[in-house]
Amino acid sequence: MRRIKHFFKEFREGLKDFGENISIIVNTILLSLIYLIGVGLTSMIAKIVKKKFLHIKEPKKESYWTDLNLKKNKREEYYKQF
Amino acid sequence: MYILGIGCYYHDSSAALLKDGEIVAAAQEERFSRKKHDTSFPINAIIYCLKSQNITIKDIDHIGFYEKPFLKFERILSQHLQMFPLSFKTFLNSMPSWINEKLRIIRTIRKELKYKKDILFIEHHLSHAAGSFLISPFEKAAILTIDGVGEWTTTTCGIGNENDINLMKEIKFPNSIGLIYSTITSYLGFSVNNSEYKVMGLSSYGDMNKSTNKYYKKLKKIIDLKEDGSYKNNMNYFIYHYADKMPSRELCKLLDGPIRKPDEEITKRHKDIAAALQLLTEDIITKILNYVHKITKCDNLILSGGVALNSVYNGRILRNTRFKRIWIQPDPGDGGTSIGTASYIYHSILGNKRNFILKDAYLGPGYSTEEVRNFLDKNKIKYTEIKSEKELLEKTARLIYKDNVVGWFQGRMEWGPRALGARSILSNPCNKKMKEILNIKVKHREKFRPFAPVVCEDDALKYFDCDIPIPEPADFMLMVYPIKKQWQKEISAVTHVDGSGRLQTIRRSQNHLYYDLIKQFGKLSRIPILINTSFNIRGEPIVCTPYDAYKCMMGTGIDYLVIDKFLIRRDDNPKDKWNSEKYAND
Repeated sequence: MRRIKHFFKEFREGLKDFGENISIIVNTILLSLIYLIGVGLTSMIAKIVKKKFLHIKEPKKESYWTDLNLKKNKREEYYKQF
Repeated sequence: MYILGIGCYYHDSSAALLKDGEIVAAAQEERFSRKKHDTSFPINAIIYCLKSQNITIKDIDHIGFYEKPFLKFERILSQHLQMFPLSFKTFLNSMPSWINEKLRIIRTIRKELKYKKDILFIEHHLSHAAGSFLISPFEKAAILTIDGVGEWTTTTCGIGNENDINLMKEIKFPNSIGLIYSTITSYLGFSVNNSEYKVMGLSSYGDMNKSTNKYYKKLKKIIDLKEDGSYKNNMNYFIYHYADKMPSRELCKLLDGPIRKPDEEITKRHKDIAAALQLLTEDIITKILNYVHKITKCDNLILSGGVALNSVYNGRILRNTRFKRIWIQPDPGDGGTSIGTASYIYHSILGNKRNFILKDAYLGPGYSTEEVRNFLDKNKIKYTEIKSEKELLEKTARLIYKDNVVGWFQGRMEWGPRALGARSILSNPCNKKMKEILNIKVKHREKFRPFAPVVCEDDALKYFDCDIPIPEPADFMLMVYPIKKQWQKEISAVTHVDGSGRLQTIRRSQNHLYYDLIKQFGKLSRIPILINTSFNIRGEPIVCTPYDAYKCMMGTGIDYLVIDKFLIRRDDNPKDKWNSEKYAND
């Protein structure tokens, strides 16, 4: 009885590991497709229209401070995740 | 009214509980999970917070989260869009956690906690600012927050007035002092978001003279610094915006060599680079602080964000700038944002007046005498019960004076990264070899890292060249000051190579037992100072429970453990407990 229990325990763990490995493979394939198609295409279009997402090559300025004025807002604003 | 603040999924997850504006409990998840800098949802810290007040999740009126996740995700996506195809590897590594955890925080909170009421999201740097200002002694203060990066922001400055905070200016990613510091930390072979303080300690071994340290001039090329303290990183020297490494090849060329491997010898070049980085960081922050003083016209300063852990510079701020008073909370890094989030909701959003000043850091779990006794008896641990507090102090002071290494476990655990006399290892600073003894017996640290002294606040000015009055952040081990020359040889075990010490000052009102122990030790040694180092082994979080403390002692060379009123001698107990749970359990 103990051996059977042990077998099923090991079997379940093996299945779990197998499932995790499969999900890693599927995730990698899906994410690669999303990256190449979604991110890649958007990025290329952005490069054509000269849209910058990060200011990496920002020209030199007198000051790099930008206005923020982050202060108390309406309560509803804090329910938002953005 | 109870408000729960939560911070997680980047580094140093934590939870904090406010009761009618007073912080009644706060802890980092790592102390419970035993994973250093644990990033996971802080379920154990939350359970502790609720248990400490005998309440359930139904009693919580609001939960606050320490950032706006969608804004942060926008920044992450922007990095990938801008850096395609270079960011492929980091995209594959980071997206699963965004999809499964970070963008589902509301679902996680509701599911894990079975919570049905409000969840509020506070901007990351606002959480930093609130986490220091709203629990500070200042009614009005200038505020500066600096860290690696929040959503988009890396540096903000503004003003706090009663229960309002206005962050007026910001500097955005990829420009970041925190990320510069982390990049050089990584270049020097140390771990990012963990070992920045080691680079700070290493800097004292390098050439701190700006005119002779060639790396200081070189490092100035990596940043365009303006007179008003604003700055722009020269991104030719960094790759953190698309790779899992931080320094670029150009940075390696600039610094005359490749990235140091962790087990490689630390050379003079590495020390000079660390010194140059510290000098550069100080230049930048001084300029920012002068600007902040100019626009706020306020003499009180609140400093927050991970960069506020740079205790070497903190100790120079009042001398280098026009600010007259400074306050930093015990955990100014990301861990501290859970307090900020909860405080901001209570005081700023709900408009309640401030009624609480954080005077000590003892916000974590504590254990009653009976709980400790049960643990010891259940695990058949040999101990001596000490009848009176006086006897406990005399015995412990004598053990330390005789060069024993003593684990000190008393009261509630500290909040923040420093051990402040609740979960500390204490030893004799007058023994010149104590640094080596501690390293051999317990800590196994890099040789260049100093140990910290603790001194009673009323004795500090005799031994240390502190600002007057001594700023409160020294109570949280956040200020480094020079040790007076005549004492440097006497307490050489805590004197860093440049003659400084990262002291902790202690007031009797904060922790009378700890204070009295130092005084008692002073009666024997004539110098009322102890070495105070965190109660852990290198690479592990500070101990939390009696079990953690006992296990740590038995697995190391700590000679005695003083836990509540019980004295345990290591040699009286079987040593195989480190690797075995046969005898000890929680």
